[in-house]
Order: sequence, then C-alpha cells, then structure tokens
Amino acid sequence: MATTSPPGVGLLKGLGVTIKQMFKPAVTQQYPHVKPDLPPRTRGVIALMDENCTVCMLCSRECPDWCIYIDSHKETVPPAKEGGRARTRNVLDRFAIDFALCMYCGICVEVCPFDALFWSPEFEYSEYDIDKLLHEKGKLREWMDTVPPPPALDEGADAPGEVATAIEKANQELEAAKAKAAEEARAKEQGEQAPAAGDAAAAAPAEPEVKAGEIDQETFDRLIAEGKSERIARSKAKAAYVKKEKQRLKEQAEQQAAAAPAAEEPKVEAGEIDQETFDQLIAEGKSERMARAKAKAAYVKKQKAKLRAEAEQAGGGDAVEAPAAEGSGEAAAGEAAPSAAPRKADIEVEGAGEIDQETYDALIASGKSERIARSKAKAAWVRKKKQEQMDAEGDA
Amino acid sequence: MTGHDLAFLVVALVTGGGALLTVTSKNLVHAALFLAVTLSGIAGVFLVLAADFVALVQLVVYVGAVAVLFLFGLMLTRAPIGREALDNQNRGLGIAVSGGLFVVLSVLVIGAFGGTTAAEVGGPRVGDIGMVIFNTWVLPFEVLSMLLLAALIGAILLARRETGDSGEEQAPTRIDMGTAPSMEAERMARLEGGDDQAELTAGGDPGPAAGRGEGRA
Amino acid sequence: MSIAEMANAAAGLAQFSPAPSLLEIGDSFWLSAVLKIAVVLAVFFVVPLVVGYMEHKVMGHQQARLGPMEAGPHGSLQLVADGIKFIQKEDLIPSAADKWVFAIAPGVAMVPAILIFLVLPLGPGIWGVDFELGLFYALAVGSVTTLGILMGGWASANKFSLIGGLRAAAQLIAYELPLILAGIAVALQAGTLSLVGIVEAQSTFFIPGTEINLWYLFPQILGFGIFFIAAMAELARPPFDMPIADSELVFGYMTEYTGIKYAMYMLTEYAGMVSMSALMVVLYLGGWQLLPGVPMPGCGGSGNIFDCNALGVGLGVAVTLGKIMLLTFLMVWARTTYPRLREDQLQRFSWLVLVPLSLLNLAIIAVAKGVF
Repeated sequence: MATTSPPGVGLLKGLGVTIKQMFKPAVTQQYPHVKPDLPPRTRGVIALMDENCTVCMLCSRECPDWCIYIDSHKETVPPAKEGGRARTRNVLDRFAIDFALCMYCGICVEVCPFDALFWSPEFEYSEYDIDKLLHEKGKLREWMDTVPPPPALDEGADAPGEVATAIEKANQELEAAKAKAAEEARAKEQGEQAPAAGDAAAAAPAEPEVKAGEIDQETFDRLIAEGKSERIARSKAKAAYVKKEKQRLKEQAEQQAAAAPAAEEPKVEAGEIDQETFDQLIAEGKSERMARAKAKAAYVKKQKAKLRAEAEQAGGGDAVEAPAAEGSGEAAAGEAAPSAAPRKADIEVEGAGEIDQETYDALIASGKSERIARSKAKAAWVRKKKQEQMDAEGDA
Repeated sequence: MTGHDLAFLVVALVTGGGALLTVTSKNLVHAALFLAVTLSGIAGVFLVLAADFVALVQLVVYVGAVAVLFLFGLMLTRAPIGREALDNQNRGLGIAVSGGLFVVLSVLVIGAFGGTTAAEVGGPRVGDIGMVIFNTWVLPFEVLSMLLLAALIGAILLARRETGDSGEEQAPTRIDMGTAPSMEAERMARLEGGDDQAELTAGGDPGPAAGRGEGRA
Repeated sequence: MSIAEMANAAAGLAQFSPAPSLLEIGDSFWLSAVLKIAVVLAVFFVVPLVVGYMEHKVMGHQQARLGPMEAGPHGSLQLVADGIKFIQKEDLIPSAADKWVFAIAPGVAMVPAILIFLVLPLGPGIWGVDFELGLFYALAVGSVTTLGILMGGWASANKFSLIGGLRAAAQLIAYELPLILAGIAVALQAGTLSLVGIVEAQSTFFIPGTEINLWYLFPQILGFGIFFIAAMAELARPPFDMPIADSELVFGYMTEYTGIKYAMYMLTEYAGMVSMSALMVVLYLGGWQLLPGVPMPGCGGSGNIFDCNALGVGLGVAVTLGKIMLLTFLMVWARTTYPRLREDQLQRFSWLVLVPLSLLNLAIIAVAKGVF
C-alpha cells in the first residue's frame, strides 16, 4: 500500500474515468440498421465484367484456393478482309467463383490483364446453403453494378497510362489532320499564287515546328538581372521560348482533342434502365429494387451489344477483338487505344536536379514552404522534360 | 380450535418433522438442511407465541448464521458433493438419549407452564427486553458473552496450532513427501539443518550437497 | 394486522402504535392482505427490471457501447424479453445433482428477498406493515438468502458451484456484521427499529441548538459508507462478486442453473439491490422526504411528511424510487469502475477495516446521543 497520493484518490479517479466515458458517444455500429461506411477498396465480393474477359485463365490459375471455374469454347471469326485469314476467338461460357472457398486474397483481381475482375464492397451475401455461395457469371455480373468508381488521383499526379496514351493518340490524329490542312493550304497557295494573309496567320500557330531563333525576352531579362552571362541567358531564354510555345501548342491540341473523342466515345449512360426488362420483372413479381437493378444491367448489356454490332459492321472482324468495354464509364478507355507512343515512365530524363522556375515561383507566391516548392518544381521540370522528349519523338 | 391454534399446529408439525428427518436422514448435508428447517420452525413457534423479537433472533442467529456455518463446515470438510450418503451407526443410542431428553423436558415444561394458554402470553416489547437484560440480568449476560469469547479464542487456538503453546514455535507435522524431489522437503531439511531429516525425502534426491552446506552456514 | 400487533393488543402493551398503511381496505384483514401482497409482488417484479435495464444501459455507455437497443425502444423491453426466454428454456438438472435441494434452492434464496419488501416504506402510507422491528426484520430475513445460495452451490454437484457457494457463505457472514452494526447505529440515533419510525425521526432531527433539519447521511456518513460497501458485498455485486467470479468460477453457484431457476437467482440479486437501496434510503436519505427540512407538498403530520393526499403520496413514492435508482446507479458505477477483489482481500477488508470502523461509528453515535 505504498502510494504517494492519499488512499482513495485513485478510486475516485477511476470513477471519474467511467463517468466521463458515459457521456462520450458510443463506438457501437448499429449495423443492420445503419450500413457501415466502407472504404472503396473494401474486399467484399469479386465482380466480373464478363465482356472484358478473354478466357486467358490467369485468374483461375493464380487462385490459391482454386475457387474460380471457367468454361469456354472457341469460335471462328470470318476474316476481316477479303482473302484474309479466319481468326478464332474464345467465348466465355461459364465463370463462377465459389465464395465458400475464396479467401479474398484478391490475386485474381490483381492478375487480370483485361480489367474483367473488380472488388466490390458489398458483403451481405451469406446463405443458409453453402451451395449458393457459388456465384455464377450472371450473379458476378450483377455485383459489377456495386463496384465504386476508382479513387481520384492525387493532385498533380501523372495521368494513368491508358489515358495518357489516348490523349497522345488523339494529338497525333489532330496533328495529322492539321498537317493535311496545311498541305492543302500550301497547295492552294501554290495554285492561286495569292497568299491570303489571314490563312497564313491562322496556320502559323498550328505549325508544330517552333522557330529556333526566337528567345523568350522575359526569361532573358530575368536571367540577366540575376547576373548570368549573356550567353547563358540567351540560350536559356531560347529554351524557355521553345518550351512555352510547345506548351501552348499542346494545350491547344488537347482542348481540341478533348472535344473530338468525346463525341465518338460510345458511352452508355449508367442511370438508364431497360424499360422492357423492368416491366417484365415487375410483372413476374420481383421487388422494384431488384427489377430496377436488373433492368439497368440489361440496358447496359443491350447498349454494349448494339455498340459492338456497330463496331463490327464498321471495322469488320478486327473490331471484335478490341474490347467494347467503353460502355461502363469506369472500366472504360482501357486498352482501347494502342500504345503508339512510349509511356512517360519509360523516358529517362537527365539532370534530375533542375527545377522548374516557373512552378517554383508560383508555389512560393502561393505561400508554400521552400522545401515543398523546390521538390514540386523539380517534379514539374522532370515532367516537362519528358513531355518535350515525347513531343520530339512524336514529331519524329 | 382457533386460527391461532391451527397456525401453531402447522408450525409445530413442520418443526417436529424437520427434527425427525434431521436425525434419520442418511445424507449429512440433508440433515443439516433439515436442521435449518427445524430452526426456522422454532422461529415460527416463537412468532405464533407473539415473541417476534426472539423469533427474528432465532432466524438471524440460528438459520442465518449457525445453520449456514454448519453447512459451510460440512461442505469444507467431509460432505460429498451431490447425493451421496454418509450414515452414522449409533441409532439405538441416539433414540435412547433423545427420547430420555424429550421426556425430561416435557415434564419440566408442562410442570412449569402447564396451565397457561397462548392468548395470555403477551410478547414483551424490544425495549422491555433490553431494559431487563441490561439491568437485572446484566451479569449473567456478560458471563454468557465471556463464554462465547472463550469459544472464539478456542477456535483460534485450534486453527493456528503452530503458535499454540505460549506462543512458542512448534514443530510442524511432518508429512512423508514420497519419492518426488520436493522444494518443501529441501527447505525443511535446511531449516532443521540435520541429516536426521533424510526420511523426509526417503528414496529421493536429498538435494544438492552444496545447497545444504550453504543452508547450514 | 400482524401477529405482533395482535399480541400487543392482547397483552395491553400498546406503547408502539404502528403507523397505518394506506394499503388497508377498511377493516378487512384478508382484502388488505391480498392488496399488500399484490403491491409487494408488483414492486418485487417491476422495480428490479427497471434497475436491470438501467444497469445494462449505464454499463454500456460507460464502456463506450450502447447497451441493448433491439427489444423495445432503446432496448427498454430487453429484460422482459430475457424473462420470456428464461421461461422457454429447458430446465436442466445435472444427473449427479441432489434434485430436491437443487430445485428448491433458488426459492429459498428468493422468498426472503420478497419478504423484505413487506416492511420497506416506499412513500407516505405505502408500506405493507409498519413493523416495530422493521430494520431487524429486514436484516434477519435477508440473511436467510445465504442458505439458498449455499444449497444451490452444493446441490449442483459441480466443484465451481461448490466453491462459489462457499465463497458466498463466507462473504455473506463476513459482511453481515458491518451491515448490522451500521444499521444499529441508525437505530440507536433514531431510538426505534421501525423503518417508518426512522424516516419520521430523520424528518424531525435537527442539528443540536439549531433549526436545521438533517438526514442521517450527514452525521453518519461513515456508517453510510460502511453500509453501502457491505450491501454491495452482501449482494455479491462487483467488485465483490467472488461467489460468481466468471473468470475463475464459471458462474459460481449459478453455474448449473438454467431457465426459470437461474432467473430466480438473478431476480434475487436485483431485488436485493432494490431492497438494500431502499433500506439505505430509509436509514440515511430521509425516506420519501424531498430534501432535508423541505415539507412534502400535500402532507402534514410529523415533519410535514405524513398524512398526505394523493399528490403527496405520488410524489413521495416518486422520490423514494428516484433515490433507489440513484443508489443502484452508484452500485453499477462501482461495478464498471473497479476490478474484482481477491477472496482474501475481501475477507481482510471486512474483518480488519469495516468491522472496526462500524464499531467506531457505533461508539461515536452512542457517545453523541448521550451528550446531546
């Protein structure tokens, strides 16, 4: 009983702890009444986007529990061109996951190369009969409706590879179109022998080549003011000019590109439902919720089918191979655009120590600490360099 | 026969039956429980006779304390759990002694209070009892409490045998520790410091010689 | 009319005139008896449920939980649901058990718990009997509960039950002493053992030489502390729940009990909380008196808390029940706060701390009573 404080103080303190706790909110989750707020990456159930599946069997092979069952058959697709070779294609007959065996390791989702498997946070699918835990293709497809959109990218992060390549492709097309237009204009110019000043002015900014002799006066002045030698200042200012011009051109192109592909993107509105299916299900006595969900799925499926049919008509056999996944907003872009240009990450940039002065100044001006500004500016510099190299390669 | 008589009859029957079962029951704990019934019945008899204070004393002292201690002691020592029977073979002697006692007490009680009826026995108030005990009968009361004190001290002496005789340490009862090497045996051997304790660990290892040497030093 | 009253009347000793209960119906003995039994049983079965619900909720919130939420609004019918469940359960008796003793043990424990309510005054005129020996009666009858616990522990033919029963008996004997000694000090100060008389004595107790009315809580704060701790130990409430000690004894003497018998033991415990709290209210907190020195609205008589009209009676009952809930809340609070004592600590605490203190308390009160 060798206590420093008088006896009984500890007892009173203990009472204080419990009475304080009594007036704090409880941590209990009223689960069946209040659904838990689960993070988007929750491993609840695995959903299947069966249109994306190419029956590569990777998931099934990697599954540690062997709980994925896949059946398929091959179909011969007629040649795309007259006299071409007929191709074969795997058609998915059965895709089932036995959730009684599944240990939710997520390897199947990781290995899927075609974005056909997703995690859904839905977890309320317990059954009285263990057999019912074997979810077949249809049920796995239904889970797809519960997959949340992927978390937003960090601010200032590089665009995902597939998006970057899509932009790249759009840029190339645009530039090709411009080049064509310029050629036509030149032809016209040559033909008419009367250069229209307006046309030339309009074409000038579209010119992807940047005149090398120009310097960026602003940069030049600043550098001189900083006490750099004229030679250095001039060269840097030249570089800055080129950079700026490129940036401007790129932005322009991106704006145009953003407008262009949006129109042709075969997008399916997620909110729509298939009225026919809905009515039918309601007539069958299903609950409205279920009918609505199924009708939604049916609508998406139909639209997809329609799009695929269109694509097939338009592009012949080859188009079938291109996954028609654009339907679901999130699973979208995907592998649609072939990677024409190397990805940013593959480009090596020398001189990682440099910083992008512009970014740095802007960040300092917005009140960031020097350390942060410096590191961000460094990153911005690297990014710009990469962009330049890519542009250069693209031009080449 | 009034309701009063009827109540007395019922209580008396319960008491008598409980008493009979107490002595005839083969199960020790059952006997103790029937004793508790008998003692409660006696409290009931007191109540019927309008002696409510005595009835409550009977309840708190005999049922609440004595019977519980009785059971407590039985359960701690020798009563088998559940319904196993233990029987004492002294029935004849028991019948003779209790029968003789019953006759003597009956004669005495009838001789002393034979003519009175229940209605005339007025229960005294608690205050009156207190006044009487602590005025007229204070000496016998204190002597009785000395008796209880003596019993208490006796119980303590029995329970703490080592320090019994005028506080001198008595040798503890030795227990054959068997063949297993025992820390306790070693400790005792070291305490006593002699090889004459070897039988304590008969057949076993008497412990490391060095350790014993240290113990002696 | 109790037997004692009849005897008093017969002997012409009418110094103690019991305060009349409002539950008397005219002069009819049997009708009054039925009404009193009904009231006592209603209190016995309802108030412990309220206390139990309060315990669930308070414990829950003090442990960052919500407590019962499903049965009824905010789980308020949880204990009713529990009761229905207990009735439905199979009545299991271990094959090695002593069947008769096993069967009647919960009854032996519960009946005294009911009987205590007979003398507890819950409001002006709301009592079964104003018994001259009320306090002694309550403590004496309560001591019989021990027997039921011991019987149950032994008859279960289970070593945990037996140890639990023995612990219960040892504990009850150890803590009955300070309990009774603390109660005696109150009786000494009030000059009566009648519970109604003690309430009346408190309403007319003034600090010597002044007009300030006080409850016995203030002069006997030590006694109240002793009584409260001893009451918790008597009821085997945590932190004194060694007879049950679920971490070491499974569930002590209740290990083998299921269904309705188990419910009877539990009801005994909660009714014990209520009756012990009611005793403390009567002994130390001025019974149904709102505050010391505050006359009850609609009441007259001694201390302005007797001879009440309907408003006064209702208010009095509400005040008593409120005080009971406050004390049971304190018990629950202690339960969530303190870990269980060890058996030897428990015994040491009683014999070496509480008994000497209660004797000291008794001596102080006796001397003070003699001086003033």
